[in-house]
Amino acid sequence: MTVDLNELSRRIIEGDADKAIELTKAALEGGVPVQEILTRGLVGAMNTVGERFKRGEYFLPEMLLAGEAVKAAVEQLKPALIRGEAGYTGKYLIGTVQGDVHDIGKNIVAMMLEGNGWEVTDLGVDVAPEDFCSAVDKNGYHIVGMSALLTLTMSNLAKTIDALKAAGLRDRVKIMVGGAPVTQAYADQIGADGYAPDAVEAVMVAAKLLGKS
Amino acid sequence: MPKMTGLERLLTALKLQEPDVVPHFEFLINQKVRDAILPGASYEDFVDYMDLDAVAVFDRTAERYEPVDASKKIVRDHWGAIVRFTSEDVPHPVETPIKSERDLDSYVPPDPDLPWRYERLRNLVKRFKGQRAIVATLIDTFDVVRDGLRGDVALYRDMIRNPEMVDRMNEIVLKYQLGYIKNCIEVGADIIVITGDYATTMGPMVSPQHTERFITPCLKRMVEYIHSLGKPCIKHTDGNLWRIFDLIVETGINGLHPIDPEAGMDIGEAKAKYGNRICLMGNIDCGPLLSWGTQERVRQEVKECIRKAGKGGGLIVASSNSIHSAVKPENYVAMVEAIREYGQYPLSLD
Repeated sequence: MTVDLNELSRRIIEGDADKAIELTKAALEGGVPVQEILTRGLVGAMNTVGERFKRGEYFLPEMLLAGEAVKAAVEQLKPALIRGEAGYTGKYLIGTVQGDVHDIGKNIVAMMLEGNGWEVTDLGVDVAPEDFCSAVDKNGYHIVGMSALLTLTMSNLAKTIDALKAAGLRDRVKIMVGGAPVTQAYADQIGADGYAPDAVEAVMVAAKLLGKS
Repeated sequence: MPKMTGLERLLTALKLQEPDVVPHFEFLINQKVRDAILPGASYEDFVDYMDLDAVAVFDRTAERYEPVDASKKIVRDHWGAIVRFTSEDVPHPVETPIKSERDLDSYVPPDPDLPWRYERLRNLVKRFKGQRAIVATLIDTFDVVRDGLRGDVALYRDMIRNPEMVDRMNEIVLKYQLGYIKNCIEVGADIIVITGDYATTMGPMVSPQHTERFITPCLKRMVEYIHSLGKPCIKHTDGNLWRIFDLIVETGINGLHPIDPEAGMDIGEAKAKYGNRICLMGNIDCGPLLSWGTQERVRQEVKECIRKAGKGGGLIVASSNSIHSAVKPENYVAMVEAIREYGQYPLSLD
């Protein structure tokens, strides 16, 4: 059967997870290379979704449904990705820092990264510096992304970076920070490698840090 | 102008008239900050010491949470949601009771008529009635449905896929809220504040269409009920509200808090567009400014806020969210002193 990757892309943008699964399966069965499904089907869709969010045409409900659809499509691709047919863009560890429970922004960044071929591990919210350290130590990530949404918890971004340094892990990873009160100046001040004000830019910064842009 | 009581001052501002001086109060003042200013004092004594225009009480039932796992600080709230308190003691919903529409058939909402809910309010009324405004706050329907009943992802999915289910949940929550409002006013509340955010710093959480369909109608019903009982209502919502500002104002609210400058809300613009319809409250940045800024900067910002939005009344100066634990105590004191210095009516700031 002919598989229309534009249709897959359209269904993800609309947040139709069932149709996204069906079309991804059909593409795989039809012999479309995983890399092509990723780039033409998923990445394009998530970039459109991100742009619409940035322009104020999409809001959290539309973003989350699109996120569920892309996640469902990525699940279908996982066996092939693990076999190394296309290969992940890179390994990304993400979490909201200790004391903070805001996760929608972080979830959107995780979703955009997954849609762009990253293997994302999400540590969730209120993540202690030692938990970031032990994950980095055990699993080896290319990038650690941390989010803080409160002025009160911003300092825990710096504390986590310090903990990575103290554990001798700082040079193993690139560090990205974000969240409403965070700025580029603050990111520079605490020694992060990258900062992004929104999810679309986060994907671009991550690619840049990995030398893939 | 003769000196007004805090209550008179606030009610005058909410009627969009000029009081003797620009009023000030906060919904929340962290104990650490209070202790640094007046060590060991109770909230009530602190309010007297700082001569704040109102005392606020939350529909918070922390002492009535049902413990689930004390070692992990996990409890069940009165809506049935499992909540975990973080290392900073911020509550975070981890599981909500409504997993499917069928759960709504057997769902038992909390009872607003339990006397213990109003014990604290009664004590505040006893001590402050007629002098300082008694402010009772409750959480918005949208927030309760999202965090207490359904969970954010499921609710957002329902808005698109199952709007009738959102209506059902809104009705359940509203029934409690209207009962709670009635009881607070009977006990002696002067002003009702409805907290709960509709927006992030980037803009509304849900589209203006969804805001109009699911969120502001609930607010309107509460506001109309509060007005029918003869009291004013202040709505609190963080975030960049420009795209839904009209919808919020059309609910009939008397005041809007906090007009957050860090979220792109300019109080001068809000005053020009909506100053003849609602009282504006807040606007002093509790992020970088109150947390790390100098006292002089704080004074300048207060002055600028009053210059932009104080004319003709309809202004309550306050922080852009709350006096949280990272606010420098001396900056809060500088803010209050500056309000009293620059906020004397008639204003002479231009």
